[in-house]
Amino acid sequence: MRFRQLNLALEKDDTNRFLPWLIAFMVLLAALSIAGMLMLHQISGVFEHGIQDTMTVQIPAGENIEADEKNVSEALEALKKVDGVLSSNRISAGEISRLLKPWLGETAGSDGLPLPQIIDVEVDRSSNLTAEKLNDFLSPLIPGATVDDHSVWLTSLVDTLHSTELIALSVVFLITLATIGTVVFTTRTGMGIHRQTIEVLHFVGAQDEFIARQFATRAFIVGLQGGIVGILLAAPILYLFDYILRNLEEGLLPRASLDISIWISVGVIVPAVALIAMMTARSTVLKTLKKMV
Amino acid sequence: MAEVVRFENVGLRYGLGPEVLQDITFGLEAGSFHFLIGPSGAGKSSLLRLMYLAHLPTRGLISLFGRDVSTLPHEQLPKIRRRIGVMFQDFRLLPHLTAFDNVALPLRVAGVRESEIRRHVEELLTWVALENHMDVRPPTMSGGQQQRVAIARAVIARPKILYADEPTGNVDDRIAARLMHLFEELNKLGTTVIIATHNEAMVRELGRPILKLNAGRLEIIPSNGTSLESSPDAEEAV
Ligand SMILES: Nc1ncnc2c1ncn2[C@@H]1O[C@H](COP(=O)(O)OP(=O)(O)OP(=O)(O)O)[C@@H](O)[C@H]1O
Ligand SMILES: [Mg+2]
Repeated sequence: MRFRQLNLALEKDDTNRFLPWLIAFMVLLAALSIAGMLMLHQISGVFEHGIQDTMTVQIPAGENIEADEKNVSEALEALKKVDGVLSSNRISAGEISRLLKPWLGETAGSDGLPLPQIIDVEVDRSSNLTAEKLNDFLSPLIPGATVDDHSVWLTSLVDTLHSTELIALSVVFLITLATIGTVVFTTRTGMGIHRQTIEVLHFVGAQDEFIARQFATRAFIVGLQGGIVGILLAAPILYLFDYILRNLEEGLLPRASLDISIWISVGVIVPAVALIAMMTARSTVLKTLKKMV
Repeated sequence: MAEVVRFENVGLRYGLGPEVLQDITFGLEAGSFHFLIGPSGAGKSSLLRLMYLAHLPTRGLISLFGRDVSTLPHEQLPKIRRRIGVMFQDFRLLPHLTAFDNVALPLRVAGVRESEIRRHVEELLTWVALENHMDVRPPTMSGGQQQRVAIARAVIARPKILYADEPTGNVDDRIAARLMHLFEELNKLGTTVIIATHNEAMVRELGRPILKLNAGRLEIIPSNGTSLESSPDAEEAV
């Protein structure tokens, strides 16, 4: 009996068949843009972390290896005495050439192209130590040494990332709006087809709530179908993207990946779409009925 | 006897058009049986629409079961509608439901038990000679078959008032007689019946009182055959 009541208005007509697909397409777009935005956020987070605690000391290549070694060990010794320096690490020649490979190719580190020595300095930002101060301290000791404050170029990179993130956020916002609009519009269109059913149920004495529930249930199912299909379409694309990111040349970008929180955020789209469809159907039917006597 | 339908100076116009019904005043007593006649376009369907609450009048007063319909809250209308059975001139069957499910609709909406629904619907569909078409959907039925499904849906819940708009237009004489018999049986059980029709032979044969519409005006002809103006008659009744 309950079951039959729920199926009164269930129409298996062809006009309804394309609605889930339209919804699925919008869900696909929404899923991709939300995942993209969250990953961008991850990346800028990694950079932001980088800003906080590192500077780089660069010592130009000397006449020979012995001179380089001497410069580096002197610099390391000197850095130990600086207030605010937590630790300093020499970056090996091998690592430098590996990091530079994407830009310089195989010639990096070969004898023909002398490489500078690089020391990574972990600093305590609260100590007021600036790159300038460190530079003033080091350059008289080791000729040619320069100090780079990561935060200078990283800040501008992070700023760029943040504005990109903002753009992505507004794209996500617009796509979300468009998705909601599509769900609302397709549901309403679907309801138009059912106008006669609504009228007849009305004339045989059905309560407005009863009629609305019939269609709301149906719309929920259609929304769920569309949402699931959309996510199923988005999943392989996101998976491929994730795979590419994981296998990126190291050093180009900080590692970003589709972690569980992103998958959950994307998954939430499905019930959200179903609920929007359900509420739209409900309010459309109730509005139609309010216009009748 | 109490009046179940009361019209006082009712007028109706569609949108900005002319008044299709003018100064309609009459009352229907509970358990009465009337024919509603008049040339095509006279306003028969429009009058019925007012009586089953599809429209509100542009002027005048309508009361059903003693209650002014213009003051009834929206939530109470379904209860009143369940006491009214309507057979629409254009049937309004739901094309995606079988004959059985179409007829069962008023009972399901009212929350009647499924076993009871089955018994009543099967009995009624057998009465209108559709026992072999219970699982057929309206689009694949003949006009006369659809008409009988529409009538069955109108009477299944044993309404207090039954409106039938041209119920015998598409059926042969034998089935027409059978349908009229169904209406009379229902009337004997207390249902107030109003039948709009062009079938003059049937009207004459049954000798029931007549509501006669002409160009939007109503004339009441009692069963003895003498014609009366609607207004004086109505004032007597008040
Ligand atoms: N929904 C509507 N909108 C505008 N005008 C309408 C509407 N329905 C009916 N009319 C007009 O109202 C008048 C009466 O129509 P109605 O359907 O009540 O006539 P009827 O007596 O039932 O005719 P028939 O015997 O052909 O069924 C007609 O002139 C018709 O054009
Ligand atoms: Mg008519």
